[in-house]
Amino acid sequence: MPSGTRNGEIRIVGVTKRFGDMAAVSDLSLTIPDKAYCCLLGPSGCGKTTILRMIAGHETPTTGEIRIGGEPVVGLTPVQRGTAMMFQSYALFPHRSVLDNVAFSLKLRGASKAERHRQARELLAKVRMERFADRLPVQLSGGQQQRVALARALITNPRVLLLDEPLSALDEYLRLRMRGELRRVQKELGITFIHVTHTQLEAIAVADLVVVMAQGRIEQAASAREIFTAPRTAYVARFMGGQNVLSGTVESVADEHAIVVDEHGASFSTAVIGEVPVRGSRLVGSVRRDRISVSKAQGCAAASDKVNSLLGEVHAIEYQGSYVKVTIERPTGEGFVANVLDVDFFRGPLDIGDSVLARWSARDVLILEGAADAGEASMDEAGGVLI
Amino acid sequence: MKQAAGPRPWTFYVFASFFALFVLFLYGPMTVIYILSFQGPTGGLTFPMTGFSFLWFHALVTAERVGDIGGSFQRSIVLAVIVAVLTVVLSVAAGLAFRRRFPGSGVVFYLAIASLIMPGLFVGLGIAVGFQLLGLDIDWYTSALGAQLTWTLPYGLLIMFAVLGRFNRAYEEAATDLGATPWQRMREVVLPILLPGIIGVALFGFTLSYDEFPRTVLTAGTRNTLPLEIWAMTTNVTSPALFAVGTVTTIVSFIAIGAGLISIAVIQRRRTRGTGQPM
Amino acid sequence: MKALPRLASWLQVAPVALILVLFFGLPMLVVVTVSFFDYGQGRLYPTFIFDNYVEIFSSSVTLRLYLSSLKFALIVWAVTLLIGFNIAYFLVFHVRTLLWQIGLFLLCTVPFWTSNIIRMISWIPFLGRNGIFNQTLEGAGITSQPLEFLLFSDFAVIVAYVHLFTLFMVVPIFNSMARIDRSLIEAAYDAGAGPWRIFSEIILPLSKTGIALGSIFVITLVMGDFFVVKTMSGGQSASVVSALSNEISAIQYPPAAANAMILVAIVTLMVSGILRLVDIRKELIA
Repeated sequence: MPSGTRNGEIRIVGVTKRFGDMAAVSDLSLTIPDKAYCCLLGPSGCGKTTILRMIAGHETPTTGEIRIGGEPVVGLTPVQRGTAMMFQSYALFPHRSVLDNVAFSLKLRGASKAERHRQARELLAKVRMERFADRLPVQLSGGQQQRVALARALITNPRVLLLDEPLSALDEYLRLRMRGELRRVQKELGITFIHVTHTQLEAIAVADLVVVMAQGRIEQAASAREIFTAPRTAYVARFMGGQNVLSGTVESVADEHAIVVDEHGASFSTAVIGEVPVRGSRLVGSVRRDRISVSKAQGCAAASDKVNSLLGEVHAIEYQGSYVKVTIERPTGEGFVANVLDVDFFRGPLDIGDSVLARWSARDVLILEGAADAGEASMDEAGGVLI
Repeated sequence: MKQAAGPRPWTFYVFASFFALFVLFLYGPMTVIYILSFQGPTGGLTFPMTGFSFLWFHALVTAERVGDIGGSFQRSIVLAVIVAVLTVVLSVAAGLAFRRRFPGSGVVFYLAIASLIMPGLFVGLGIAVGFQLLGLDIDWYTSALGAQLTWTLPYGLLIMFAVLGRFNRAYEEAATDLGATPWQRMREVVLPILLPGIIGVALFGFTLSYDEFPRTVLTAGTRNTLPLEIWAMTTNVTSPALFAVGTVTTIVSFIAIGAGLISIAVIQRRRTRGTGQPM
Repeated sequence: MKALPRLASWLQVAPVALILVLFFGLPMLVVVTVSFFDYGQGRLYPTFIFDNYVEIFSSSVTLRLYLSSLKFALIVWAVTLLIGFNIAYFLVFHVRTLLWQIGLFLLCTVPFWTSNIIRMISWIPFLGRNGIFNQTLEGAGITSQPLEFLLFSDFAVIVAYVHLFTLFMVVPIFNSMARIDRSLIEAAYDAGAGPWRIFSEIILPLSKTGIALGSIFVITLVMGDFFVVKTMSGGQSASVVSALSNEISAIQYPPAAANAMILVAIVTLMVSGILRLVDIRKELIA
């Protein structure tokens, strides 16, 4: 039986999981507060599903400890843990009706038929599926199956609900609707949700706590807003997609500002908080894409000597509705992206091939941790620049 | 290459004709002996039919000349049921084990494959001589049962591999999540989902045993199974009684096949077009 | 935690393993052992002599028997492969709806579940001197007297083998072909491949495992058979195993066992040759 406490706080302490020689998760620690909606976000193979399955009790950590509501749970069954899982494939039993799928766990506990059907109907009503109670899973659409899977997971009255890529099998329209629904159900029930996804937008739309993962480690765990506006590492900045990553050598430090110059001569300045960087050391920073102004460079090469600006050629222009995404190519290195408000862009439209000057202000520059090239490869794989 | 609709390419008709000829080749001769088993009293082993009678079926029960058809028939049915039950239980269990790699799994797998392709007569010879060396008597329910299992179990295993290959592990994890004990998980989730495949194993177990000859011939002892009795008839019975026994034994096979296939079809149908009355 | 699932696996597999060891592994060891025994007057003498093997290798009959067995195996293999491949190809690539595919596949499969002996003797009224085939030919005026070679001949043996064993080719080839992703064929077509190139570059290579499995089944079945060759040749032809079964009837177990060992060695050689082309464990368990 689930433990008496309804506390759904999850504490993962120094957990490593190895499959053969490969470590899917390496020495990972994370605390997820009770009643939080937490998203584990990362490209495929980053270890996020392994973490979820270890919390669920479907995998055992090689080393380390997992606590739910303060109690160590490694070795306990899912029911003892008070967790329930919604599977990516939904795993609805094909030989049982919708009602019997939802009532299954009550049947196992010996509830009478009338009682378990009453409770199951109640939950089906909660996910608006009561009309389909007598159908078989194959007779439902993907979205309907998902609602049934949710009801079946919730009937165990879990303190933690684990969702493995819950929206990946749905089409775009349903995905947007269901993610709102999940958030609503979570608030209503007031239990901890842990939701695994590889889609940035999905994560920041629903989660209180976003955990960005790469190669079995946590890159950053913070609120959606913080992850997006204040990435801690170059990897997160690139993966979330709202930032341009810059790197270079510290040229001078003055007035609590460091001036950093990259290999093309472009430079950026940033406020220095705490430890003062040494002259000549490498520094990685990022600047938000929507805080960049772009103008035609009318032969004024000198302008690029200015701090917090760079010269380049327009490589691509994508209209995004409320803004226009302008990709600026430099002789080498990755593209630099400016998201220009549509009103600003159409005031003086640009063409592909134009020479442009991009400028930003020092207060929009962040200093990042870690190697400058972190996440460059996974970017292609995740396909996923968000904005 | 091929559209879902639209005219058939000419090659379709070539292949379809070839297929039709193949089916004729498969079923033609069998159909002929079923017809000839109703041969008139003066008729022989081939056409023309001199009449229509049940004489040759009657002869199976009465004439001493054709041997112990009734007894061997009973023994074969009982043996086939025992083999089918054992094959289902044991190969389902072993199939489940093979979903994990475990030390020794390769040995068991290759032992099963070797047993499958070993000439049956050799297996029977080894068992018969082994029993003799140990001073044991061979009989249809001991040595022949074992001999037949070395043939049906590998088949059962192969079918279970195919069935389990398509089984989604998430069903079991979902059951565990919902509080099922390992035994409940097996009974309420795994076995019902695998049921069509399990019926397939039973069908193979029954029919392979019921018709088994090369492994049984040296291991059945003094009391024959039906195929051994039929084999004896081929050498000393030259009347349509031979065909009559063929018709009878094929009817039994068809009943088993029909029962197996129909129950599989019913289950599959319920799962795709449920009536709201789950099993 | 690791030991528990392993123990469970062992317990689950133990009954099958036990039966295979008791009724297959040990009996095969018995056959090996007995092949070195001496014998006489229906009795076995536990010795360790090579006489049985020496006798086999010095007998002129041996080579003839093996050649006969190999001849049957090769002809039947070629014919069943030709038929089996085309039937599987038709079912997979020409039959459009799943229901028809299952129905026609079952139509091919049902005879497998009926008695081999009955299916074999069902050729007797067909091929006999006054059989249906001869009656038809004479009736149509094609021949004036019955063809004698039809029944109780090598021809009849091969017909019966093909009839009994073609299914063992159809099923594995069908399984491999059914797994071929249709978009591969469309991609090849888009790349400009004609029907022949699609066949030789896509379908044939991807059916390889099925062909290999089917070949193993058919070759081992033919090499191990004795009752078809005995009945359908009317005693005129022989194979290794039919000769061996005569020795068994005469309670000459040691030479029979020695012969069995040699045949097993040859069949093993053939099978392992085929296995070089395909990993059947991967094929069957994955």
